[in-house]
Amino acid sequence: MQNQPAIAHVSAIGHADRRWLFKGLGLTIVVIALALIFALINPRFATVANLANVLTQASYYIIIAVGMTFVITSAGIDLSVGSLLALVTVIGFDLIKGGMHPLLGVLVMFILGGAIGCLTGLLIAFVKIPPFIATLAMMVSLRGLALLHSAGNMHYGLPPSLTWLGQGDLFGVPVPVIIAFVFAIFGGWLFNHTKFGLHVRAIGGNREAARLAGVPVNLVEVIVYVLMGLVTALGGLIMIARIDSTQATIGTAMEIHVIAAVIIGGTSLFGGSGTVYGTVVGALLLSMMTNALVIAGVDYFWQLVVMGVIVLIAVAINNLRERRIPTLSLFMRRNPEESVANNQGR
Amino acid sequence: MDEGGGNVTATTLMRVVGLQKSYGGLRAVDDVTFDVHHGEILALVGDNGAGKSTLVKALAGAQPPDSGRIEIDDKPVPLRHPRDAEAARIGCLHQGLGLVDALDVPENVFLGRELQTKVFGLIPQLDHARMRERTIELLDRFGVHLPRLNEPVLRLSGGQRQTVAISRLLLQDVRLVIMDEPMAALGVEEGRRVLELVRNMRAQGISVIVISHNLEHVFQLADRIAVMKNGRLVGVVETASTTRDAVVRMITFGQLH
Repeated sequence: MQNQPAIAHVSAIGHADRRWLFKGLGLTIVVIALALIFALINPRFATVANLANVLTQASYYIIIAVGMTFVITSAGIDLSVGSLLALVTVIGFDLIKGGMHPLLGVLVMFILGGAIGCLTGLLIAFVKIPPFIATLAMMVSLRGLALLHSAGNMHYGLPPSLTWLGQGDLFGVPVPVIIAFVFAIFGGWLFNHTKFGLHVRAIGGNREAARLAGVPVNLVEVIVYVLMGLVTALGGLIMIARIDSTQATIGTAMEIHVIAAVIIGGTSLFGGSGTVYGTVVGALLLSMMTNALVIAGVDYFWQLVVMGVIVLIAVAINNLRERRIPTLSLFMRRNPEESVANNQGR
Repeated sequence: MDEGGGNVTATTLMRVVGLQKSYGGLRAVDDVTFDVHHGEILALVGDNGAGKSTLVKALAGAQPPDSGRIEIDDKPVPLRHPRDAEAARIGCLHQGLGLVDALDVPENVFLGRELQTKVFGLIPQLDHARMRERTIELLDRFGVHLPRLNEPVLRLSGGQRQTVAISRLLLQDVRLVIMDEPMAALGVEEGRRVLELVRNMRAQGISVIVISHNLEHVFQLADRIAVMKNGRLVGVVETASTTRDAVVRMITFGQLH
């Protein structure tokens, strides 16, 4: 039974390849083409200052989306990232403003993020609450905690040592961009070249087979959510360092942005296969579009609408790529072997 | 380590004595005694419900018997858990194969026993190159060629997937492999390749127990044929000195002659 969807698309993915270079190439071209179009339509888009702005805005989404790539590849999902980011940043900000050493405050943020991620992971791996439900509940509860902590309170005024993380630059390159870039390389290495990454892909692809092969499936799953929590804290740190403020409502609707970046990048929503490179390009694409809409003077509410539509399109493409929509795949090139496999029903 | 020398030598690898397993009032395996020789292919045949699967599960440690014993190299081996079977170097190929479709061939072969190197002599990372090399070596040793190794195995054919699953077992240096209907759902050419692979395993001294409904395959492949009916072992016959009709009679009437 667990093999059924797999057999149904044994010969389905013709063009996609595991090697990230090819998998990400099409999307990379789309991003470059879009950038050129935006630049032609509105020259203000193509200024160095604006492009640096796009990259900086993309930086924390890239960081968090790299973590989400692991979660989704493990056949999970995390809807609580925005709320966790809010909780971690309001508490961290408050502590540092209250006189705690910035390093210590940052450490508290990471410990809090990791611990809450661990709790989520334990609920999913051991209490067997489906990831969607577990993280939906966490999303609501964590937002509640953030509001309890500082409803109506706008925190601002971080020490320069911290704002440098979000506003500084090294040799003309914004620091957040450098951090995101380095982190993405680390994430790609972790994903493709470590035992942990392999095990994440294995449990997402076929949990039972992974278990039989000796993969500690529950432990790997918990670590995935711990990683997600830590990564959310890092993204939050850079975000508040950049805007030098935070409040309990920060990060609202962030999960949809992050999940969209991952799916657009080509990671399978059904687990097992993913690409960190694609995620980075997907996050860049979203930031670029948001930026272009802002420059064009499109209302924020319309931006939300566009974001939702992009997510729907991305998921539809993902499904088509994996031939999970039988009626739609009728219109695509069909291969006789596949229809046999589909009808075998084993 | 016994390499068997290729042909059937009559030395015993595994001895099953008085094995019994009941489900409620049903005796699925009833006082079964037989030997598996070093480097032989033993086919296990019988109608549905004859007890083949239950017997094989007991040998793989997946379902401990109620009574009876299993000896390997004349020493009793308790097989209470799949881990015990692994320790005894018994491999079992399930019908589901246990592959992760999204992973490529070396990743599937090595999943759970990955090879690693150290970056800067410090940080462990997967040794993709060596896993790939060892996979190719393994496949070569058993005369198998797979066109593409670094693609998800979901894109491989049924027979190729079968080969990958068998490679997983071969990596563990097994001396007995149990296969449940390995040729089912394969095309003619694919089935022939798997037959060849099984013969190559025998040539390397590995003993193989094959469950099959297809007597044609059984006669092509097996050195000896064990027939079961209603949980009992009707008999074990040499393939060379029996006929299809005789085996069919054993399956249907449960009589040796």
